[in-house]
Amino acid sequence: MRKYIYLTILSVPLLLVTACDKLLELEPSQNVSENTALGSDENIKSVLIGAYSLFDDPGIYGGNLLRNAELLGGNGEILWTGTSDDPRQIFYKTISATNSDVLAQWVDSYEVINTCNNIVSALEVVKNDDRNRVEGEALFLRALIYFDLVRFFGMPYEAGIINNQPGVPIVLKPSRGIDKKSYVLRNSVEQVYIQVITDLKAAAAKLPEENGVFASRGSANALLARVYLQKGDYDNARKTANEVISSNKYTLLTDYADVFNQYYNTPEDIFATQIMPPESYNSMTIFFSIPEFGGNYGDIEILDSHLSLYPAGDRRKDLFFSGNGAMRCGKWNNLYGRVNLIRLAEMYLIRAESNIRLGAPYVGATPLDDYNTIHTRAGLTPASSVTLNDIILERRLELAFEGHRIHDIKRLKENVGTWTYNDTMLVFPIPARELEVNPMLKSQMTPD
Amino acid sequence: MQRILFFLFVFSGLALQMTAQQKPITGVATGAKDNQTFTSLEPDESGLDEDIIVGYGSQNKSYVTSSISKVDGEKLMNKPVPTIELALQGKSAGVFIEAVNGKSTAFSRVRIRGTSSIYATSQPLFIVDGIPVTVDALNLSGAAINPLASINFNDVESVEILKDAASSAIYGSRGANGVVIINTKKGFSGDTKINFSFKSGFSDPSHRREFMNADEYISYLREAAVNGDLQEDKAYGYSPGTISFWENYVETKLKNFSGWAAITDKNGNYLGSKVDTDWQDLAFRRGTIYSADLSAQGGNDKLRFYAGGSFNSQEGILVSNGIEKASGRLNIENKANKFTDVGFSLALSRTAINQVPSDNFYSNPLQLVALSPITPPRDEYGELYNRPVTAYYNSLLDVEYATVKITEYRSLVNGYLNFNLFNGMKWKNELGFDLYNLKENARYGEKTDAGTGVNGYGFANSGQNQNITGRSYLDYTNIFGNLDVSGILGTEYQYVTSETLYAEGQEFPVDALKTLASANNISGASSTLTKYNFLSYFSRVNLVYNAKYLLTLTCRVDGSSRFGINNQYGFFPAASIGWIVSKEDFFAGVPVINFLKVRSSYGVTGNADISDFGHMGLYDAGSYNGISGLIPGQIQNPDFKWETTKQFDAGIDFGLYGNKIYGEIDVYHKKSNGILLPVQIPATSGFSVQMQNTGSIQNKGFEILLTSNNLSGNITWNTSLNFSVNKNKVLDIGGQDIIDNGGIRYMNVVKKGYPIGVFYGAEYAGVDYYNGDALWYINERDANGNIVNPDETTNVFDDVNFVFLGNPNPDYIGAITNTFGYKGVEFEFTFQGVAGNKIHLIGDQWMASNGVWYDNQLKSQLKSWKNTGDVTMVPQARFAWDNGNQSRSSRYLSDGSYLKLRNVTLSYEFPQTLTNKINLSRLKIFFEGQNLLTFTQYEGWDPEVSADFLVNNIYSGCDFYSAPQPRSVVFGINISF
Repeated sequence: MRKYIYLTILSVPLLLVTACDKLLELEPSQNVSENTALGSDENIKSVLIGAYSLFDDPGIYGGNLLRNAELLGGNGEILWTGTSDDPRQIFYKTISATNSDVLAQWVDSYEVINTCNNIVSALEVVKNDDRNRVEGEALFLRALIYFDLVRFFGMPYEAGIINNQPGVPIVLKPSRGIDKKSYVLRNSVEQVYIQVITDLKAAAAKLPEENGVFASRGSANALLARVYLQKGDYDNARKTANEVISSNKYTLLTDYADVFNQYYNTPEDIFATQIMPPESYNSMTIFFSIPEFGGNYGDIEILDSHLSLYPAGDRRKDLFFSGNGAMRCGKWNNLYGRVNLIRLAEMYLIRAESNIRLGAPYVGATPLDDYNTIHTRAGLTPASSVTLNDIILERRLELAFEGHRIHDIKRLKENVGTWTYNDTMLVFPIPARELEVNPMLKSQMTPD
Repeated sequence: MQRILFFLFVFSGLALQMTAQQKPITGVATGAKDNQTFTSLEPDESGLDEDIIVGYGSQNKSYVTSSISKVDGEKLMNKPVPTIELALQGKSAGVFIEAVNGKSTAFSRVRIRGTSSIYATSQPLFIVDGIPVTVDALNLSGAAINPLASINFNDVESVEILKDAASSAIYGSRGANGVVIINTKKGFSGDTKINFSFKSGFSDPSHRREFMNADEYISYLREAAVNGDLQEDKAYGYSPGTISFWENYVETKLKNFSGWAAITDKNGNYLGSKVDTDWQDLAFRRGTIYSADLSAQGGNDKLRFYAGGSFNSQEGILVSNGIEKASGRLNIENKANKFTDVGFSLALSRTAINQVPSDNFYSNPLQLVALSPITPPRDEYGELYNRPVTAYYNSLLDVEYATVKITEYRSLVNGYLNFNLFNGMKWKNELGFDLYNLKENARYGEKTDAGTGVNGYGFANSGQNQNITGRSYLDYTNIFGNLDVSGILGTEYQYVTSETLYAEGQEFPVDALKTLASANNISGASSTLTKYNFLSYFSRVNLVYNAKYLLTLTCRVDGSSRFGINNQYGFFPAASIGWIVSKEDFFAGVPVINFLKVRSSYGVTGNADISDFGHMGLYDAGSYNGISGLIPGQIQNPDFKWETTKQFDAGIDFGLYGNKIYGEIDVYHKKSNGILLPVQIPATSGFSVQMQNTGSIQNKGFEILLTSNNLSGNITWNTSLNFSVNKNKVLDIGGQDIIDNGGIRYMNVVKKGYPIGVFYGAEYAGVDYYNGDALWYINERDANGNIVNPDETTNVFDDVNFVFLGNPNPDYIGAITNTFGYKGVEFEFTFQGVAGNKIHLIGDQWMASNGVWYDNQLKSQLKSWKNTGDVTMVPQARFAWDNGNQSRSSRYLSDGSYLKLRNVTLSYEFPQTLTNKINLSRLKIFFEGQNLLTFTQYEGWDPEVSADFLVNNIYSGCDFYSAPQPRSVVFGINISF
């Protein structure tokens, strides 16, 4: 009997042996674990805000991405006089693989992509009513990032052929650790464009018309129009641009100057990076402006060769001002002003250019009408007839220093100084750090 | 030279012991060499008949097959040191203990058989009465305080140090760096013994450096200024003597730095200063020490107890530094009935600390040495001077107008309930709490650096650690004929939470208002919380056959919240065998050797000092447009786990002449794998870095312990000697070749194939005798890595190639203790030393920089090159022109070997006949001295140093205005009745 009592008592410690594994799952308090972050409707929406907060980093849509497009294409029209080495390399086309601004653009872009991938992977937890909107916003951000990645790091898109030149790696799954699959290869430029267009079409279908400062249907369509234009797909370009214009959600401001240096979105803005101190700032101001407005000493000078492009009476020329011994841009004089990424004027120009290239029947309005809409808003007398070159010039003047220059040069096959549009020096090298860490990329080096 | 001295001491000690043993033991019949009954007349130094604690149990020492070192609590008592590690210095072979500096709250580096990690801790696991105590420092000001300071070591019965894998595998994923088990005193059956002791004394800094006095400073700075201007002339192509910019600058500075003490002629030219301030002296002070202990120990067959209380105060040798401890302990054991044992122990301690800043702050008192001797400390009104009269911040302002007080409360509570189930089977249950509370209040007045411009600054910080451990296990002991079997099998669970709360404020109306309630601006606040747990299963089997064949098998399974899902549980097995050769029949006739055991062990242990949530994907807070959001902050690592150490050990234990001479020799080989390192990952993942278990480090070496009773009789003389060698090598750092984050200042790097923390910098070649330029060896390498033109030098630092200059960790450590007794008088002294290491004198780039700026210089700089043909190692003094003061050079690397007279004890115990008359069982008076002598070639304050704001596995052996160890003496009295 006693033996049985002893044996029962003995078995107690053995029972303890079957303890729960759950005991070892503790939750952190200073951070949120992945499971929690993607585990509820409220949290996923927080992660979506998180994606925007990574997207407004000065290294990308806080401004540098726009600046770099201008520096790459600006030779002969602007002059870089700043002391920072990294932008100087971009201007003089001596970009080394260790350039930190290039690395920042790469790293920051993929941080946003990973966040969007996380959101897209966890949509079931989002409330039914909001699911489309959340997915649409994540897809829009992801598409915007991939579009700019491929425009900067890949050779230009050639209309009419399958673009097999190396683009950037397309990552669509959230990172859950590092394994062999993390060492990705570059996809082709064509594949990236296809992904971008797929994402934007899906986004446009899912996004609501009205979404405050966040991505909306109009932003998705507007970006889509831009993508089609870059591809040389003028038919789709004019159709999509037309959709945005005829939605009547956006209106051109009467005074051109009112479009810029605003803290908040204007009726003309289709999508802009919101800047809120102290967590963010407008880095275009840093480089294009002077200390009086929060900029550096005056890193970018506007040369006469650019200013002489404007016809007399052009209100757009009035924005330029003299500061610290040179002419400055004037569109970026607010350190905490929103960074306007897409505005309505661009849609008119896309529609006009696509229409005139394809000829009648025109979609939406005649190229002349669209041209005059922009032209007269700039304070000039309306034209009676218009050519393709007129429209291209109008686009250049209207959208000057807003991050379009190099991309327009490449699609129009123009030159930058002595470099032709498809010179490899006009393409960002894959950062050296990335090549070293991921040898798979080395096998597809951009000739640089 | 010091290394030779060191070896001489060690080996003369050995030789002495050997020669003292030519006489055979007399007085006892010695037929068989039976180690069960010892034949020496003196208490046995070998301890072979005692039990030692082995982790979850105890074992007779002669049957132990692993490498364990035991230190008796008596050897630690009364030492005039603030923490238990310092009392353990030199007492155990292979255990390197170094106080990082001489502050009373200094942390100690403890290394058992070398450094085995890069980013995780290399400190051993500390167990107090079965509780793995928390060793996190939760204070914000100054360097991390020593968390073990709150443990009163006068309560300690013994300390066992588990060194090899077989002994520490029972602690599984936390045993890789060895285990220090501290056991407190228990009661005994018999009349209550009451013990009272009181001691008092003082400490002084053990060494001062020689700085220039006022006259030397003035003439040296002027000389440097003249040469600085000559450099300007050369740079601009002017004729020498044209530019006098620096000379004028220096004259202005000299006048400004002198304050009211400036002596000028009628034209306002500076002539000198009325004062000659010894700033080093103002940083130091004599600190008083006193302490009182009272304990009672006793009981009967059923109930035994130990109760003790103590109060301890030690002022530090740096002004304003000090530590005060009050603690009490109660240990109770009760034989409740025939088959139940119950026990309880409670220790409460309160430690109050006056904290000083860490070494790199201007407010570190020792940084006062940079101030000029021509500057009077106070102005005409008696107020302390500050910039611009003082060259840098006058840290005496912090002493006068700032208070930083840290108060720690620690409760260690332990209870056990054991059942004797049936023959030899016990069921033990234990539960322990380590509750640690820290309160830190800092208040900086308006005149201090931290409080200036904001009308005073203050912060309040509180931290709390709750550490709960519980275990339940079966303990079986039985004898089956010739086979002794004992074993344990059980489970343990530990849960730790750590939280902090912090607030800071500015804009106080007056300095006298101390608390944040009076701050008009609460400028910051934060709270943190983290937790982790361990769930473990362990078992051990000990077999002793015929009292001479020994086998121990251990295994532990640890699961932890810190480990990733792919590695949730770790398995840590170990095996050790032993053979007591001397018990064999064939050994019976062997002379001299009465005990001989050979043993060997091999096992796997782990290091789980890894981040609490390192395996998880984590999101941090972010915001956009004023709305908060969550952004991915850490990438998941499902493989994240402990670092693993595999260790092999082989040893011989021997006793000669009936254990009059006893020794242990061990050789070991430790290989640590899976060292956590930050690895660069493809940015396409959305992250750039992931901590991965990829590195590898190796330690190998040997240890010798030798004790002997040299004389027994009226005069007794015992010697104990330990010596060890450890060679450390980094084998793999995740595919990288070198980790060098030293910038232009620090030389320690992690380099494949070299010891961790090896110094990597420029090799200083001396001074160009032609023009006084500092020179370095270019050390250019060819394609194979060999140095071409080893003798070529250059005066352009940027052209120099770095080479490996030395090891911050000593290769050899050892200590020798001699104890003499004569009729109640006991005299014991310990010499302890290290050899083979170098120290980087980082602070010297400012105080031994041949006058490059206006910091006061060491007298050694007076030997600067002056004229063509001068042969000296000190370059020409040039104000504002770098000339050899680059930090990463062997100019600032000094030999760190030392031999210290660690401890001297002289005591007299009054004869029983006298004490019985006054009803006392014992009356003893004693004198204790600590760090009385240091023999070293080291040029800095103290070769026992590792700058406290830097110290980790990589950055050791750095001196950055680090205070020397205190030299302490105390007198005391010990009464028992």
